[in-house]
Amino acid sequence: MLLTDIEKGMLRGEQGEPVKVAMEILVALGEIYGADKLIPVKSAHCAGLSLKSHGTAGMEWAEDMAKKGGKVRIPTTMNVVGIDRSRDLKLPKEWVSHQQRIEDAYEAMGCYGTSSCVPYYYGFLPQKGEHVAWAESSAVVFVNSVLGARDNREGGPSAWAAGITGLTPNYGLHLDENRIGDTLFDVQVNIKSITDYGALGNYVGKLTGEKIPVFANLGHPTTDELVYFGSALASAGGVALFHAIGITPEAPTLEDAFKGRKYETVVITEKELAQGYKNLNSAKSRDVDYVALGCPHFSLNQIKEVSDLLMGKHVKDGVTLWIHTNMAIKAMAKQFGYMDIIEEAGGILTQDLCTILGTPESLGVHTLATNSPKMAFYAPGSNGFDVWYGDEYKCIQAALTGKWKD
Amino acid sequence: MSIRVKGRIISKGTAEGEALVCTQPIGFNFGVNLKTGVVTEHNHQLEGVSIKDKILIFPYGKGSTGGSYVVYALAKYNTGPKAMINLNTETIIAVGAIMGKVPVMDHLEKDPFDIIENGDYVKVNAVDGYIEIIKKGDN
Repeated sequence: MLLTDIEKGMLRGEQGEPVKVAMEILVALGEIYGADKLIPVKSAHCAGLSLKSHGTAGMEWAEDMAKKGGKVRIPTTMNVVGIDRSRDLKLPKEWVSHQQRIEDAYEAMGCYGTSSCVPYYYGFLPQKGEHVAWAESSAVVFVNSVLGARDNREGGPSAWAAGITGLTPNYGLHLDENRIGDTLFDVQVNIKSITDYGALGNYVGKLTGEKIPVFANLGHPTTDELVYFGSALASAGGVALFHAIGITPEAPTLEDAFKGRKYETVVITEKELAQGYKNLNSAKSRDVDYVALGCPHFSLNQIKEVSDLLMGKHVKDGVTLWIHTNMAIKAMAKQFGYMDIIEEAGGILTQDLCTILGTPESLGVHTLATNSPKMAFYAPGSNGFDVWYGDEYKCIQAALTGKWKD
Repeated sequence: MSIRVKGRIISKGTAEGEALVCTQPIGFNFGVNLKTGVVTEHNHQLEGVSIKDKILIFPYGKGSTGGSYVVYALAKYNTGPKAMINLNTETIIAVGAIMGKVPVMDHLEKDPFDIIENGDYVKVNAVDGYIEIIKKGDN
């Protein structure tokens, strides 16, 4: 890999230890991936900040880097954490304290404590072709696919390293030749809802792994639906980029998606969609004690839909209802009255955290109902939950009655 | 008599010690006990075995990116390996080793699984880019 004189100096420690560590990480990754050089990036998004991923060891490392003067030099946002800084959710004290210290360390380094997986919804919106270094698999797939920006599936420390140096190794999805589609998925079933998009994403993600799927006949998904679709692809598989013909910016036509490369076609029918739903449902008992929506973090419109379903009703005793969003969207939900409706019904509109990377299991709950394909996929492993996956209406009914009804 | 083999430096440094050979990938996140250095992954080849102070040879890392922080912690608390040798180092091991200053090499000229056995004495020179193996019979 060719480094400039300035970059060599950074690697030698001329700009301090945090920059040296960051450069060592970027250079090692560049070597592994065969990058020819480092390139500048316009923004970074750090993930792995939950205590679940970072651990107290990671907390000590982050505090060490902050103490040694580490400072980001490009706009750097933070991903979800394991606590809601605005209120006491009765989580274990030590968990809360350690999680807070991780946030404080990254904020001391100049990162924005937005603590959310959807930066593109509150002002961090890369342009087509713009090089960025974002972690968080659902955000990676969104900026690459829906915005046409250029981003590799960063890990927490490599995104931090990009924030500290403003650089990333030139490999993977930063290059034109690595953004060409692999397989065509011809959607021959009617996709009617965000939950259908989630089930479809789960099915294809599992099949496609880290390749680049191309979709024909994906319908007319809204942005919210594309967020959930991508998050399913990225969690069930390792998808960092998909093309949807006629929808996403790099694939106005089939030819644009494949650029002359040979491809196989997989037809998606009712059967495959049903399999996606089956993959995401693991519960046997219809008794539900935890309903969680908002993974990725809900938009204002998604919050309004939930508040409409809860208006004048009340969550059953013994059921916990959490709706996840971020500080920016929550402020609007509060302003426009949706938060009051949700909370008067007995639900909680959270900021900063999510189910998977938080610890709702410490509240003693076991059976989850959700409309999130990502949460449904991870929750058995990350939280030990049994899961019912279905649309918002079914989830809210489960919150009101304590029972899952198909 | 020692065998010298060149390789690629992933994380700089030098270290030496007894070889511990594992033919399965190792997942450090939720797979190794930070305090003791003992592998905890259920049904793993090294389940119950301590990697502390060893020269750890395994094909590559697996699992989630939290593993980098575990590799860092093992180094920080002195419960981890002195150095690691992979077939192909992936990002989780690479990043954790750099954070914890643990020497790591991969892409050796010869297959490490052919030339290193448990109990051999191995010197890792991840500054000049080679390892030296002293077979246990020769000690």
